[in-house]
Amino acid sequence: MDVTRYIDDRPEDGAFRVNRAIFTDQAVFDRELARLFEGGWVFLGMESQAPAPHDFFTTFAGRVPILVQRDGEGHLRAFVNSCPHKGARLAQTQAGNARLHVCPYHSWSFDSAGRSKAIKWQRAGCYDAAFAQDDHGLAELPRFAGHRGFLFGSLSADVPELSEYLGEAARLLDLVADQSAEGLELVPGQVTFTYAANWKLQLENCSDAYHFTSAHPSYIRVLERRQQEISADVVASVWESSDFWKEEAQGVAGGSYSFAHGHVLNWGIFGVTPAIPLYESAQVLAERHGEARRDWMFNMRNLTIFPNLQVAENASSQLRVIRPLGPGLTEMRTWCIAPKGESKAARRQRIRQYEDFFNPTGMATPDDTVSYENCQAGFAGTVNPWLQGHARGMTASVAGGNRFSDVLGMQPERSVLADAQLCDETLYHSYYRAWAARMAGGDDT
Amino acid sequence: MTATLSRADAEDLLYREALLLDTGRFADWLALFTADVEFWMPAWRDETTTTQDPDSELSLIYYKGRRNLEDRVMRLTSGLSVASAPLPRVVHQVTNVLVLEAADGVAEVSAAFTCHRHDVRMNRSDCFFGRYLYRLVDEGGSWRIARKVVTLLNDTIPTVVDINSI
Repeated sequence: MDVTRYIDDRPEDGAFRVNRAIFTDQAVFDRELARLFEGGWVFLGMESQAPAPHDFFTTFAGRVPILVQRDGEGHLRAFVNSCPHKGARLAQTQAGNARLHVCPYHSWSFDSAGRSKAIKWQRAGCYDAAFAQDDHGLAELPRFAGHRGFLFGSLSADVPELSEYLGEAARLLDLVADQSAEGLELVPGQVTFTYAANWKLQLENCSDAYHFTSAHPSYIRVLERRQQEISADVVASVWESSDFWKEEAQGVAGGSYSFAHGHVLNWGIFGVTPAIPLYESAQVLAERHGEARRDWMFNMRNLTIFPNLQVAENASSQLRVIRPLGPGLTEMRTWCIAPKGESKAARRQRIRQYEDFFNPTGMATPDDTVSYENCQAGFAGTVNPWLQGHARGMTASVAGGNRFSDVLGMQPERSVLADAQLCDETLYHSYYRAWAARMAGGDDT
Repeated sequence: MTATLSRADAEDLLYREALLLDTGRFADWLALFTADVEFWMPAWRDETTTTQDPDSELSLIYYKGRRNLEDRVMRLTSGLSVASAPLPRVVHQVTNVLVLEAADGVAEVSAAFTCHRHDVRMNRSDCFFGRYLYRLVDEGGSWRIARKVVTLLNDTIPTVVDINSI
């Protein structure tokens, strides 16, 4: 594939443009599934989703159903959730505990290490000797690894080690994981929604500082109403106790970091404020990790691990898994991610803030996803196929890190320090450069 | 002096609530709730159980206090939310109304609902369905909603579900 038809990346000319076709073209989409979602590292889930021996959870890598299973010795593996006999989906639920999986179609069974346990009526089956040569166990993912409780797998063996793939962006997962000595957990209650637009719009929106005051004025109006009449009935939002995103804010308000392999962070300074549930741990976190790292845990941080994981810590804390269903249809599975062991009051505050902002039944996310759908409708217009949404920050982007990444010992490929109105768009370049590198070559289309 | 709720009373209130939502009379809709109403749409914990404790588990919507619903109505009608303008067309069908318990001035009522929604922006129709559980109280001679629990059975949300389509 000639990726220059889709990504016009000419740093020497100060140009970076994205062609609308990457959001609508079926052939592009098929190739994304094959190369990005079914041919490389994707996020599968959290270790905490299968904490005990024989626990499992199910998910997807692109179209492929995946079973992440812990065996009796506590060892985690990832399998294609499909019986080798006729291909039927094996585990039927999102999560559970199973020493044995028995296929509901012909009763082939598998232990929690994925080994074939029994083939119904095998001796009477008049199998040829050749059948015995096959492994009748579950197909294991060629690559499966974790970082601080975040589990990733690849359906292709031809990928770098996970540590190399995550690279310096792993330091940002550490900032999530280090918020409690006990680790992370997903709050019970998963929320799934779809939107009728391309998956990359979700990638971009998470990193988009530019849209907040434009897309969410109704939410901002609600915050203003609540400030006028404080009561125990309403949850305080961190947005209202912070002003880095307001146009009158002065000085460095945040910025962006770009990493190899398409990972990016958009961040802003919230400050150590009681509007953040982590506030109760502010002192102990400073003692454990130093004030600079502690302050980073309180910053607004929207992290994307390319291509399907986002950890958004802004109004509350959300873990998102992006699953493309078609060029114009995307599924989002979302959870409230939280440090284990926080107080009941802090957990309650986190949950209330989450529902308000992040839920598709809340007051902010729908104004994003409806905007994605408006984009998708507009992408049909190809009179000028090149979008102009990837150019802000072009003269502010510098190679390497800055004083804020230095305190984390983190070395991004590029960084931008921003005031409230800069709203960098060069961080998207990291997505599309990784995208182009993975999509290029292989045939003549 | 307080009254004991009859099924006809319950049906009258629930049907009226549906009509007010369907016709966008949100101020009148808000007036059906007590000031300290609990409005709760749990999330699903797994395939078969909804979340049970809103303080330690996630809900799709959880509010204590009518002023939160007033915020939602403000947002919905503000013209400042692209997801809410133009408002989708909705019709609620409330059935299987049953008075579970009725004492002096307070009652528990269950019902089933479907809500058909036509999103004029996307020219797309969706149907949401589930169960309602109400606590109704007599406030000065009128029945008011002190608690409403919405169990949404088809919880894979197509882009957005707001308070007017459940």
